[in-house]
Amino acid sequence: MIEVQTSPDSLSVPHTFEPKIVGFLCNWCSYAGADKAGAAQLSYPPHVRIVRLMCSGRVDPHFVLQAYRDGADGVLILACHAGDCHYQEGNFRAAQRHRMLLRLLAQFGIEEARCRFDSVSAGEGEKFVRVVSETVAAVRALGPLKRPAIDQAIPHSPPPE
Amino acid sequence: MRTGIYLCSCGDSLPELIDFHRLQGELSRLEDVAYVKPVAYLCAEEGKQFLENDLGQQRPDRVVIAACSPREYERAFMQVLERAGLNPYFLQMVNIREQVAWVTPDISQATSKACAQIRAAAARVSLHQALIKTELEVCRDVVVIGAGPAGLRCALALAEAGRKVVLVERSPVLGGLPVRYEEIFPNLECGPCILEPMLGDLLHGPHSANIEVLTLAEVTGLKGYYGNFHVSVQQAPRYVDGELCIGCVDCIPPCPVQVPNEYNFGLDARRAIALPFLGALPNVPFLDARACLRSSGAECSLCRDACPVDGAIRYDEPARFIERTAGAVVVATGSALMDCRGLPELGYGTVPGVYTSLEFERILASNGPTGGELKRPGGPSPRSIAIIHCAGSLDERRQPYCSGICCDYAFKFNQLVEKKLPGTTILHLYKELVFPGKEEFSIYQRARRNPHASFIRYAPGRLAVSASGGAAAVQYEDPAGNRGREVVDMVVLCPAITRTEDGGGLARILGAPTDRFGFFQELHGRMDPVQSRVKGIYLAGSCQRPMDIQNAVVQGMSAAGYVLSGLADGRKLEIEPITAQVDDNRCSGCRVCGAVCPYQAIGFQPERGQASINALLCHGCGTCAAGCPAGAIQGSHFTSEQILAEIEAVLA
Ligand SMILES: Cc1cc2nc3c(=O)[nH]c(=O)nc-3n(C[C@H](O)[C@H](O)[C@H](O)COP(=O)(O)OP(=O)(O)OC[C@H]3O[C@@H](n4cnc5c(N)ncnc54)[C@H](O)[C@@H]3O)c2cc1C
Repeated sequence: MIEVQTSPDSLSVPHTFEPKIVGFLCNWCSYAGADKAGAAQLSYPPHVRIVRLMCSGRVDPHFVLQAYRDGADGVLILACHAGDCHYQEGNFRAAQRHRMLLRLLAQFGIEEARCRFDSVSAGEGEKFVRVVSETVAAVRALGPLKRPAIDQAIPHSPPPE
Repeated sequence: MRTGIYLCSCGDSLPELIDFHRLQGELSRLEDVAYVKPVAYLCAEEGKQFLENDLGQQRPDRVVIAACSPREYERAFMQVLERAGLNPYFLQMVNIREQVAWVTPDISQATSKACAQIRAAAARVSLHQALIKTELEVCRDVVVIGAGPAGLRCALALAEAGRKVVLVERSPVLGGLPVRYEEIFPNLECGPCILEPMLGDLLHGPHSANIEVLTLAEVTGLKGYYGNFHVSVQQAPRYVDGELCIGCVDCIPPCPVQVPNEYNFGLDARRAIALPFLGALPNVPFLDARACLRSSGAECSLCRDACPVDGAIRYDEPARFIERTAGAVVVATGSALMDCRGLPELGYGTVPGVYTSLEFERILASNGPTGGELKRPGGPSPRSIAIIHCAGSLDERRQPYCSGICCDYAFKFNQLVEKKLPGTTILHLYKELVFPGKEEFSIYQRARRNPHASFIRYAPGRLAVSASGGAAAVQYEDPAGNRGREVVDMVVLCPAITRTEDGGGLARILGAPTDRFGFFQELHGRMDPVQSRVKGIYLAGSCQRPMDIQNAVVQGMSAAGYVLSGLADGRKLEIEPITAQVDDNRCSGCRVCGAVCPYQAIGFQPERGQASINALLCHGCGTCAAGCPAGAIQGSHFTSEQILAEIEAVLA
């Protein structure tokens, strides 16, 4: 590593709670944005675990619910900017589904900050770092997700295949 | 299940940032993991060779490669798997370089993250299915719709490459709009002169046998898909046999009927049997059945009596319904002018002497309604002309865009007016001036040098044309609020270029979407302007956006290139295996999937009441899979099962 920068969410301060966050990244823009952050060797908190999909439009709300169920404290959905989608409008569908999800999550008592949707282009390494850092800080501030509530609310059975 | 994991150390660099020993230890304990091997440079030729040999010896069922970004090397490693005799889709890559090692300063945290990501990849890859590219026999013939510069260039290029082309043209004349222009900007060449060689090639050139030209014809139906379209064409009778007709036009003068000539925008009259204008190609008159006296039962046969060739005029010629198979369709149907009756403040249709730019082209043309004399048809020559640029353009309530070619032709008009009637006062009224291109600025400069021309910017919405005696009064206000009024003998409107009148109808027939302005929508405005949203349907010329002739022929050529590379000779069409599939047992026929698919890849089977996906059209984005309320759609290689396994393992 050429130079290690301290991220906004300073790693040197000990934290008692290390959140687990699943990040759904689309292949063409946001995954490439994450690569760009890496190529620029910008450091950021390691709590976001990346799941690569071809398009943010593939993010089935069920995946998000299942992530909470499997132990995630937060979810990050990153898409291309409006008008930039490799598949024309998948990001628009993802944004629609995210709005719907927030309403559903509110019913389960899951805070909005635990499910963030944002756009990161292939060139926006720095924005990727900022969004990840902010999400980690926000989820950390909320503390662990209350498991019993989510376990009751979301049936464990996988979706019909 | 035996999964082999390869850890690329990127030389020596990654083990300094990620604890490879700990990684190996933790990963080896996972169920299904047969071995974990560090390799120095997997991406190097030796690395790939090692991988190929090692896969041959170890014969794992699935492979995980933890290295750099799959966006860079996934395809290369898939090829290695294939060479080693494994299905290339039995691979999952993890980016432990850009997304872990290089961004996580703490080695222990980096190792944990890498471990979680690789664990998830292993969980997912065990569910990967063997996918194979399928191949399809295709038809290599092409249907080109529209015979303007774009369609002509495209048809000629394809014919030269040996392709059979069906060229479908709605009007009785070939050449599109520019055959109606006396002169063409930027160099003021004669319009018919630059188009006639192309038309000559089309009709009688060395490859003309490959082109079936259908005039007075329209596409009425399209079935099938890329590689195998079935195109229905309806051709109205011309009543004059193109094979027998010798082009003497003796049939025309005896015709007793006079109707407005739509090919001169109604500025003069034509007979029921007519050529659109002198020099129109093919040089075969057409009979307008609706105007002909025979349609009202009269026994008139004056045209046939005058025809020196027996059987060339056939009153009983039926309409033809033609079916053709084609691998691809090129839309080159051009554009139109905005209907100026929708701009009442500009006086079109109400104030005498107000013409559209296309009408003015005909007034300037020597084969036009005035025989090329610059004057109002049936009226006097003007001593002053106002040319109003940006009519209906750059206007949020009408067309917000700039058509990009009007300034060019307006300055062309300037020179032609000065040439035909030296000393005529010309007033250019514009909102903005544009003339990009290497030649175009010079037309503006030449117009600027015309001592009788003046140039005035008007504020949007601050211009009106009204009748003033037999002349037209143009009142305007410039952006600074200064008002002016000029009385002129003639007004030429340069209206926004819009889609053709039936553009929407054709779009529906083809299933190809249009954009918010009504032009055919391209796949990508910068990178793919010539592909429509439907695979195998290409767009050439001003049906995609307003453009000049140069751009139209470039797009025509480009569409031909797409066809020749996509439906290459001697090759079948490969279908990418990452597509979506419908589970018939679950699909309830709600059609949500069809509504979210950006590619018209999802059809509805009315007999079964279910959706079906055309693998050829599907781009594999998975939006339908995520949208299906019944979970009836699976995206191969991105199945819900695979993704859920990855989520579970990444969090374990
Ligand atoms: C007033 C004016 C002056 C211009 N002067 C110049 C100039 O000097 N230099 C220059 O470079 N450009 C000029 N242009 C622009 C030029 O006209 C266009 O660039 C050119 O016509 C575009 O060619 P095209 O092949 O895309 O379409 P078009 O020329 O419009 O041809 C389209 C063809 O498709 C046919 N068609 C339409 N719908 C159907 C259908 N449904 N089925 C079958 N056939 C159909 C039409 O009949 C037509 O033959 C001018 C434009 C205007 C309006």
